[in-house]
Amino acid sequence: MDAFDSALGWQRLDRRMLLVHPVRDLVRFLPALVALLVFRRSSDTGGWWGLLGVAVPIALGLSRYLTTSYRITSGRIEVRHGLLNKRVLSAPLDRVRTVDLTASPIHRALGLVTLRVGTGQSGGKSEERLALDGLAAPAAASLRARLLHLTPFAEAETETAVGDRRVVLDLDLAWVRFAPLTSAGVVIAGAALGVVAQGIHTFEVTPSVDLSRLAHLGLALLVALGLAAVLVGICVLAVIGYLLTNFGFELSYSRSDRAWHLRRGLFTTRETSLDDARISGVSIGEPLGLRLAGGARLTAIVTGLDKKQQGSSVLVPPAPRGEVDRVAVEVLGTPGPVTTGLVGHGPRARRRRWTRAMVPAGIVVAAALLTSYAVSWTLVVTVPVVLAVAAFLAHDRWQGLGHALVDRHLVARSGSLDRRREALHTPSVIGWNFRATWFQRRAGLTDLVATTAGGRQHVRVLDLDQDAATALATTATPGLLEPFLD
Amino acid sequence: MWMCTDLLRSVPPMALLLLATGPWHWFDLPTWCLVAVGVLFVAYGLLVPLWRYQVHRWEVTDTAVYTQTGWWARERRIAPMSRVQTVDHREGAIARLFGLATVRVTTASSAGALTIEGLDQQRALAIVEDLTRMADSVPGDAT
Repeated sequence: MDAFDSALGWQRLDRRMLLVHPVRDLVRFLPALVALLVFRRSSDTGGWWGLLGVAVPIALGLSRYLTTSYRITSGRIEVRHGLLNKRVLSAPLDRVRTVDLTASPIHRALGLVTLRVGTGQSGGKSEERLALDGLAAPAAASLRARLLHLTPFAEAETETAVGDRRVVLDLDLAWVRFAPLTSAGVVIAGAALGVVAQGIHTFEVTPSVDLSRLAHLGLALLVALGLAAVLVGICVLAVIGYLLTNFGFELSYSRSDRAWHLRRGLFTTRETSLDDARISGVSIGEPLGLRLAGGARLTAIVTGLDKKQQGSSVLVPPAPRGEVDRVAVEVLGTPGPVTTGLVGHGPRARRRRWTRAMVPAGIVVAAALLTSYAVSWTLVVTVPVVLAVAAFLAHDRWQGLGHALVDRHLVARSGSLDRRREALHTPSVIGWNFRATWFQRRAGLTDLVATTAGGRQHVRVLDLDQDAATALATTATPGLLEPFLD
Repeated sequence: MWMCTDLLRSVPPMALLLLATGPWHWFDLPTWCLVAVGVLFVAYGLLVPLWRYQVHRWEVTDTAVYTQTGWWARERRIAPMSRVQTVDHREGAIARLFGLATVRVTTASSAGALTIEGLDQQRALAIVEDLTRMADSVPGDAT
């Protein structure tokens, strides 16, 4: 390495990373270390093993530092690492879609960040992604500027003044009220419950509950109390989760490198830069709970970022609908796709929504009626509830269905519990899938799916009239479909 | 080929069912039930492939690739030549038995792969070559 390599432009990670790697590896080796300590106590021979157990992680950390280096050559970024399995990763700079700077608390204390480069590659093992763990913050910032500047789309604009950042969105702490309405809280609570249950199981701590005393309270009250406790717990966890990931959320646009910059996080800060030319659309998510409270969230459909990397394309965390719309208009550059009313899908689509919701509910109800010999109160209560929920879902899903083609954006909305309004720039549409089951064909309907390289990889327009579907596809991408129309 | 694969596909569940009712005694079913299920599976293996064959279409022009597949849910897929990323040629064991091959055309979107099943091997190779040449001649990074 050294003189020869640095002449070729290879650069190392920051020296302070020497402190991070051993610590982290020590933590990773902790189970092995504990085992070693136990082993040493039981047999007196292995006094050196413990020392070795500490030395190995430190040596590993050292070797990782010594073997990782990166450089930017003409048009490519190259990263090489590995002691035994040497690996050189390289990517052309014009394929760089996003640059992600993440800093965990350890990193922050030392002034370091992890830089991740998102290219068009979807999936792949973590080792095969372009990531530089442990750059000094200023070095990372300048590297990011170089990576984004060198993309051909940005080159034309470089002469404009640097530092013309325009803040588009700042997190308002009052938006925390939307946190409990998302499903995130339930997920966190589930994970927490799992951990707690596991803990109780492994440590054999049986919570001592005086059952006879509780029985006096009555079952109904107990259930209500339990539910309330769970609900409050979920709310608190959701709020904490929201604050942890989104604290200090700031979205800004800088004209000098034509990119959107996101910054967020309470302990682990995360900065993402999205190349404006790679944003092919936005998706406004309005799950039922959020929708009832007048909120929504916004994610970008970025070419080359797939579902697994969704976290780096969040543009607005759960926030009031007005804010979300404003940001969506700014990102797309035109108000049309966000504000125009959508074209509904006709009575046949509505009938399909209703049958799809009512038939399973009806089957459930019929089965319940058939299997129960006597009329019980629970049955009398649950049957109408099930039917009502199904009816509500059908109606809501039907209300949500819609599509439009405005300002060269394909807009589609569907869903009830998890409603989405997706706007996709038509040049980013790769191809079309028409899909119709036998039932749909009988009703003269079809699902139109526009495939794209970003986000969820497709935008689906549900239950469209067959003629309307072909018309929509031909106007969106002229010249593609015509040769195949029968 | 499809008849073969579909028939083969229905063998494991049928065998499982037979084993479950027969030697394992998990639950009991009257014989007519078993016969009915067996008839259904055989019908699936014989009729669905015919249906599938009726539906399947494919077409390659200078500008795009088009396929129509499926039987119950019919799907038509169109991908422009300028967005084609890879062209795969595949031969499964059963397909090779019949001298057939599959051509798979992928785009940058994971939702947009087009497969043309059951092509004559020579023809499949020719198509692969054509497609690769045409996709190469279109500039751009295909995203």
